[in-house]
Amino acid sequence: MFRSRSWFGGNWNRPKNRLSLEHLKYLYSILEKNTTVSESNRGLLVESLRCIAEILIWGDQHDSSVFDFFLEKNMLSYFLHIMRQKSGGSSFVCVQLLQTLNILFENIRNETSLYYLLSNNHVNSIIVHKFDFSDEDVMGYYILFLKTLSLKLNTHTIHFFYNEHTNDFPLYTEAIKFFNHPESMVRIAVRTISLNVYKVQNASMLRFIRDKTAAPYFSNLVWFIGKHILELDTCVRTDIDHQSNQRLSNLVAEHLDHLHYLNDILLLEIDDLNAVLTEHLLHKLFVPLYIFSLTPAPPPTSLAVVTQNLAAVLNRPVDIDIQEINNPRVSSIVALYLLSLVFLVITHAPLVHALAWVILNGDHSVFKEGAAEILNAYVEHRLTVVPGFGEPRESLEQALETVGANSTSHSYDTDNIHNTLEAPVATSNAREVAGANAAESTSNTVTTEEQCAENDVCGISVETASAAAQAVLNNAKLANITDEEKEKIQKLVQPARAFNELNRPFLEMVLSALDCTENDYLALLSLCLIYAMAYNRGVKNDWFEQVLSQSAKGPYSYKTELIERLLHLITLSNQPSCRIRLITIEIALQLLVTFTKPCTDDACITEAQRDALFSARNQSMVVLRNFYKSEDIFLDLFEDEFNEMRKTNLNVEFLCMDSTILLPPTGTPLTGINFTRRLPCGEVEKARRAIRDFFLLRKTCQQFLNEKETLLPLTNTMNLVQVDNVLDLNNSDLIACTVITKESTKQRRFLVIDSLQLILVEPDAKLLGWGVAKFVGFLQDVEVVGDKDDSRCLHITVHRGGATHNRTPLLSAKFLFDDHIRCMAAKQRLTKGRSKARQKKMYQIAQLIEMPGQVIDSPVYAVAGLRAGSVASSSSRSSRDHRPILSTTNRVPGFAAALKRDTSAGGVCRIQMAQNRSIEGIRNESAGRPRRRNSNSSSHSSTSQNRDANSSPGREHSPRSSRDNSQSRSATRSRDNSPRMPRPRSEEIPLEDFQHSRNNSPHSRANSSHLNTPTRAHTPSRALNYEPIAITVHNSTPHDTHSPAPHHATQLNGVPIAKEVLVPVASSEETSFIGNEEAATSEQRRRGIIETV
Amino acid sequence: MSYAYLFKYIIIGDTGVGKSCLLLQFTDKRFQPVHDLTIGVEFGARMITIDGKQIKLQIWDTAGQEAFRSITRSYYRGAAGALLVYDITRRETFNHLTTWLEDARQHSNSNMVIMLIGNKSDLDSRREVKKEEGEAFAREHGLVFMETSARTAANVEEAFINTAKEIYEKIQEGVFDINNEANGIKIGQQHSPTNPSLPGAGNQAGSASSGCC
Ligand SMILES: Nc1nc2c(ncn2[C@@H]2O[C@H](COP(=O)(O)OP(=O)(O)OP(=O)(O)O)[C@@H](O)[C@H]2O)c(=O)[nH]1
Ligand SMILES: [Mg+2]
Repeated sequence: MFRSRSWFGGNWNRPKNRLSLEHLKYLYSILEKNTTVSESNRGLLVESLRCIAEILIWGDQHDSSVFDFFLEKNMLSYFLHIMRQKSGGSSFVCVQLLQTLNILFENIRNETSLYYLLSNNHVNSIIVHKFDFSDEDVMGYYILFLKTLSLKLNTHTIHFFYNEHTNDFPLYTEAIKFFNHPESMVRIAVRTISLNVYKVQNASMLRFIRDKTAAPYFSNLVWFIGKHILELDTCVRTDIDHQSNQRLSNLVAEHLDHLHYLNDILLLEIDDLNAVLTEHLLHKLFVPLYIFSLTPAPPPTSLAVVTQNLAAVLNRPVDIDIQEINNPRVSSIVALYLLSLVFLVITHAPLVHALAWVILNGDHSVFKEGAAEILNAYVEHRLTVVPGFGEPRESLEQALETVGANSTSHSYDTDNIHNTLEAPVATSNAREVAGANAAESTSNTVTTEEQCAENDVCGISVETASAAAQAVLNNAKLANITDEEKEKIQKLVQPARAFNELNRPFLEMVLSALDCTENDYLALLSLCLIYAMAYNRGVKNDWFEQVLSQSAKGPYSYKTELIERLLHLITLSNQPSCRIRLITIEIALQLLVTFTKPCTDDACITEAQRDALFSARNQSMVVLRNFYKSEDIFLDLFEDEFNEMRKTNLNVEFLCMDSTILLPPTGTPLTGINFTRRLPCGEVEKARRAIRDFFLLRKTCQQFLNEKETLLPLTNTMNLVQVDNVLDLNNSDLIACTVITKESTKQRRFLVIDSLQLILVEPDAKLLGWGVAKFVGFLQDVEVVGDKDDSRCLHITVHRGGATHNRTPLLSAKFLFDDHIRCMAAKQRLTKGRSKARQKKMYQIAQLIEMPGQVIDSPVYAVAGLRAGSVASSSSRSSRDHRPILSTTNRVPGFAAALKRDTSAGGVCRIQMAQNRSIEGIRNESAGRPRRRNSNSSSHSSTSQNRDANSSPGREHSPRSSRDNSQSRSATRSRDNSPRMPRPRSEEIPLEDFQHSRNNSPHSRANSSHLNTPTRAHTPSRALNYEPIAITVHNSTPHDTHSPAPHHATQLNGVPIAKEVLVPVASSEETSFIGNEEAATSEQRRRGIIETV
Repeated sequence: MSYAYLFKYIIIGDTGVGKSCLLLQFTDKRFQPVHDLTIGVEFGARMITIDGKQIKLQIWDTAGQEAFRSITRSYYRGAAGALLVYDITRRETFNHLTTWLEDARQHSNSNMVIMLIGNKSDLDSRREVKKEEGEAFAREHGLVFMETSARTAANVEEAFINTAKEIYEKIQEGVFDINNEANGIKIGQQHSPTNPSLPGAGNQAGSASSGCC
């Protein structure tokens, strides 16, 4: 009755102040009076335990007498007492107990309080208590309790948990028993606890860990990882259709967790521990499962034959269970992948070095001997672990139990670790010994099941067979068989050995996997592995290179073979039918650079290899030319891909987190696989791939030529107007308009159309004739639609650019002009500005990929190639606009002609110059405002100018005749060291033009005098003459610099035009004048211009 | 204890922002906030009801695990929801949000629901981060935002429950693969596909919940 009263609201004897010593005393009395837990007092006890936590934390911060009382009364022992009772053990009470303990240990700040709490052995008793771990809350609180304690570990507190005399360390041993708990958070906590334990620098504790627990824990851990891998392998085998992607990616992520955990342990650099772990990883997992799976299984007969013969020789049944020796095997895909991951994650030198050594130097004997040679160099007196993937004989729990029970025993030794000196001769049972060698694993059901499904009995390697035979042989010695019999057995063993007598079977496998004739499934993973080995910090770089270049296969070194294979892959990647993914090409190119080291002192690439690379680049241009269309999308794709490529650096570690590379390459984007990691699907993606392939090869070739990229990106951002720039708009064409956004906000703005940009300006309050850019967008991304109901109105959308239009546009608004004419003019300018901006970039691309049509080919071809569907509106007029000027320019047949026709009157150079002029007119206000242009841009244009000059002389002729000598030229270039993109002489002028356009600067023109510019420049053009539109621009010279007359005449046909006047295009004159100057002079001139601002 | 779903949450943010306090405040209402005593714990579970369904929230705090790379990377992955907490009285905890978010996004399941929490709203006089800033950050990164106080319990319920609601909606939309425990969602016994509405299950849930909190 006392109980019920106090629990159910009774305040009997209960102190008013919840947080006080008095209350704790009261709670203590409850504990004292309720030593036996029953249905009726459970609630009371739980509430008391909860309050105790509260008071103790309060006391820790406010009143030390609280803690003293708690310790004095030994209240923890009541806790223990409660949880040990059957009914007290109900999870209800235990959850509360554990929560109280957690609160206690987490929130306590006072060091001495903590020490007192730990000083009697109660905490350890609580740790070893067998709670009901099937209750997820109990499990959660318990493991958290251990984790919290592990966070308190240091060289002082360690003694409360680790007892040197009894060899007892329950915090650690209890925790690691949950290492493969199904709940991931529990596993994570276990890993945290173990790492926190290892971190403590206490020699005797670490000795205990190593001697008593390392072998069982690590062998079980490794086995657990191995089993997980078999699961992963099954998933890969069954999921050819990318259906269970989630599951596979989870398995991969989980495996990565394991690897990172192992790496975190290794990084603590506890030598003894690392030696044991290295040994186990290498010889219980990496070698017997990963490496073993690299080379194919021998014919299934071998083992059967061997056993049969053995039986015959020995004249008694041989007890080799075929299934038992059947070593698990994963697919070579998975094996390559797993090995890559090891090298990407783990950096512990002895481990990765030994593993690399096995791959590069090893042969099948490694399955018997392990990587002893290497490991001996790292570790003295190492404890050898015999290679073999198998389940530890004892479960971790059992093994740890033995530790507890028999503190001096070395029981774990008999399990997995044999001191090299004490050969394991224990039993005279062939099976036993054979098992130790290769296949302890095999009684395990998981393994056998999966293996049987896959390859039945054939999973056995020759080595296993011969090992088994050897085992029998050893065994036979003991069994006193005759010498004759021994010989026979020896013979049996030999042929098995001779099978698959490759020098370096693993290296051979890795290299031959680079073959992409069919697809790049294996090749990508092989590349990842090579990459990971080459870049692993633990693998000594020079050693890696040395091994590769010394060891010879036939007349070549392996390194040569590797380079050749990489080049072959790269060459193949341009074949129309190839099934090579972009990422594969990217890594291959990266590795090529890694191994040939271009432009360094120890560069090693032969002329022929270099030629192969360059012709691959040229081939990629040929492919790309097929996609070169003037459809808008091509330009968008081109720029998109460039940006995409620039954004992402090759990161093989990230790549290898993507489980989809384990599955056969697929083309469909429906899988959600990143574009570079799958095959292209459809024409657009094929174009994208071709573009990207070209970029990759171009970049690599530039590395070999020690060149910098000067032609990409197509837009030189340096010369762009930015929002808030203050621009000199005197002499610029401005169209006043009201911008009405979707939200119906109205803004009065002036529309300025630059060569590349649409700019909306607001008059500058301080400077007459100047304006502040309020919005900028690329003309190439502008979409203009008229308004059916209002002839003064346009709907203008400025997209964000790129091929994907699903992003919200930069601007989408209604533009209201003063009258219909201005509206039409704006529309026309925008439309034309868009197409010109695009054309210009298309020319740039044409230069870049040396479009034959654009470069020297007949005008007809060029026009067709260029114009098909490009500027639909212009096609009708183009033929009329063809002006004869160019026919006199004998050196500019194709490209320029196309230009002329397309852009009519002035040809591209003039138009651009005109535009440039207008840009020139728009200037920064330097003081205190963001500068739109800096001096870099001018120096930039002049360097490219120099390069142009360099590249022109001395051209070689390709088999394709002089029309297109671009292909072989690049090879020449490599020799004559001229670092420019080669072009036929005949198109030098247009290129210069396009260079200007890139830099928006007309100054660097050098060789253009032969072009008939002056003539044209002086040609009077008919242009629209706008009334000065805004107050601020009264002094602007009214003329349209953008559009030479005939255009307008055609385009504005039927449209009432306010005033048409003939105005000499002064700007053109000016530009052409500059054009005749030397570049240097123009530089000065330019500076002068800037200064006058 | 029976439930339709179990959602695993993680709770992240700089040290001292009040993660453990929030967790205890939510999972165990019996701990009444007291003026100068805020107790925390790093694990907890609680039943809530959404749409008439019993849902168990299980919350795992990070504490002390950040030191190891293997731990952080796996920690995020197993969670269906994350509470990203900063302290409104310490700007630097707000400034670190981007790093936390990057980490979370990199390692977590892409469907993980992240809730941004500005904690210690009771300390308005010492505020260094404006509420609007938190809102803006959340908007920019597509998070749900709330200011809470583990001390006064203001908004604590809402923070955890709103996150759960969002997860629940995602389940309804079929975005979450609920059969994959790696996503941080477990289906309870009563909800097993073979036996969608076990008669006894409801009762069990009822009695159990009365026993706990
Ligand atoms: N005033 C006020 N203080 C709080 C609040 N929440 C937490 N605190 C205090 O902030 C401090 C830190 O709280 P914790 O919950 O331990 O912080 P944490 O995020 O868990 O920190 P770590 O465990 O170190 O990562 C404690 O002193 C709490 O009392 C709150 O809402 N208001
Ligand atoms: Mg905490």
